[in-house]
Amino acid sequence: MSRIKRNLRVVRVLINMRLQNLMMFRLGFFGPFFVDSCVFLVQLCVFEAVYSNVDRIGTWGKGQMILYIGTFSMINAFNMVIYFFGINNIPDKIKNGDMDLYLTKPVSPLLRLTFERVNPGSVPLLFLSGVLIAYGIKEGGVKITPFLVLGYVFWIGIMTVLYYLVEVLIRSLSFFILTSGNAIILEEAGLTLCMQLPGIVFYGIYKVIFYMILPYGIMATLPVQFLTGEMTFTRAMWGVLVAADFALLTAFVWKQGIRHYNSASS
Amino acid sequence: MRKYLEIVKIYIKTQIAWRGDFIIQILFTLTKIVFASLLWGTIFAGRDKVTGFTINSMMSYYIISSFLTQLDMSSKVSREISQRIRNGTFSKYMIIPINIQGYFIAMEMGVVFFNLFIYFITSVLWIFIFRIRFVFVSDPVVLAGAVILIILGLFFMAQLNYYLGLLTLKYEEIETFLMIKDNLVAFVTGSIIPLTLLPEGIVLVMKAFPFYYVTYLPSMLFIGRIKGELGMGLLVLSCWCVVLQAVIHATWQNYRVKYDGVGI
Repeated sequence: MSRIKRNLRVVRVLINMRLQNLMMFRLGFFGPFFVDSCVFLVQLCVFEAVYSNVDRIGTWGKGQMILYIGTFSMINAFNMVIYFFGINNIPDKIKNGDMDLYLTKPVSPLLRLTFERVNPGSVPLLFLSGVLIAYGIKEGGVKITPFLVLGYVFWIGIMTVLYYLVEVLIRSLSFFILTSGNAIILEEAGLTLCMQLPGIVFYGIYKVIFYMILPYGIMATLPVQFLTGEMTFTRAMWGVLVAADFALLTAFVWKQGIRHYNSASS
Repeated sequence: MRKYLEIVKIYIKTQIAWRGDFIIQILFTLTKIVFASLLWGTIFAGRDKVTGFTINSMMSYYIISSFLTQLDMSSKVSREISQRIRNGTFSKYMIIPINIQGYFIAMEMGVVFFNLFIYFITSVLWIFIFRIRFVFVSDPVVLAGAVILIILGLFFMAQLNYYLGLLTLKYEEIETFLMIKDNLVAFVTGSIIPLTLLPEGIVLVMKAFPFYYVTYLPSMLFIGRIKGELGMGLLVLSCWCVVLQAVIHATWQNYRVKYDGVGI
């Protein structure tokens, strides 16, 4: 209990420090918001255009697709606000020996990396995502109940954590190889594809890749399926199982990586 | 002219040296084809035609448009200029006895020549791997017209990116703007979906702007559609190139004095 309290205090201090830093370097404060909102609004235009010519894509109508875009945008918004800018530089820190600074502090290095560069400039993205989700609910004619809201929030939480775990895992590869650049490029390519396509269109080898190896295919799909009543027990179990597996794998790789780390010689 | 030719040669060699870069680019073309294959494969499972496209003509459209999109690497020009102005090394281009814009156009040509070869091979590869019954126009006039349109389109994009890079002289930080521009350009050039899917009114407005003619129109011409728009496309795009050249000239004359060579 005292450890949790101490960690929460550390997180609060890190956020305060980051805010002070942002006050000094205000340039580009809202940059990530503008860039990401543009990505998702373009995405919305794309599917508005597609649905003006077809009724359904697979089993999904326009409302579900808008919900999908809004949900992915929401998960991405949490990523951008909380941890992306902190963990994105892990490979560089390993490569040039800056990880030493994190290892010598009396706090978990990953905890510090996760929260040291929170980005309040992306907070408007949360509101934009909320608007997209509300639009999707209206278009899809979803009847909202407290149970659905709670379940949806639960799935958004699980998938935000999964997103975080995959990002940390890929960047932790830098502990063992000279550069994890190619893995990050693969991540980017997979992410770009899954932002544009819901998991329902995947089959065969694509399903194996985007449901298991790079599980971006389930990240926004499962919350939407829960909200629209398409969630089955098997799918729910799969979602939880993938998140749990990635939690164990990431923890293992990170711990091994820290042991393997030998300062600037990585 | 010879010095520009030398720049073209140097950049072809540079492309060969940075092999990792084009492997990444090939991966991104694959992503586009996988996107098209999964999305349109699902949609066409329940129908034969969407806005006049069959599954084969749709996939052919994506093969051609992703080939054309990959050819254009001019967004690197704006980033190169912006970075050099910011760290004060843009002086390099100011002291060499060569027109700066000419240098970047020649650089873009070198990249395009190299990419032309590589992406042609990969496009053929995708056709076989994804088992696409490729649809391609046989009319030589349309073919020649589309090729001229592509050259004009590449020139226009190089001009646009050169212009945006120069804006660093005035606005200092333009990276956010460039990222937004890349997203919007992908949409309005028809790289994400064919523009014919958009409402007619919007398409009509788009026809007044150059982006419609950079990737979308040549791709449609190559698959044998909207041949009647070729003449209009050549005219509109040429006009935009002339206008943009005048804007570049004015911008350079106004802002070059702001550069002090010590970085920002």
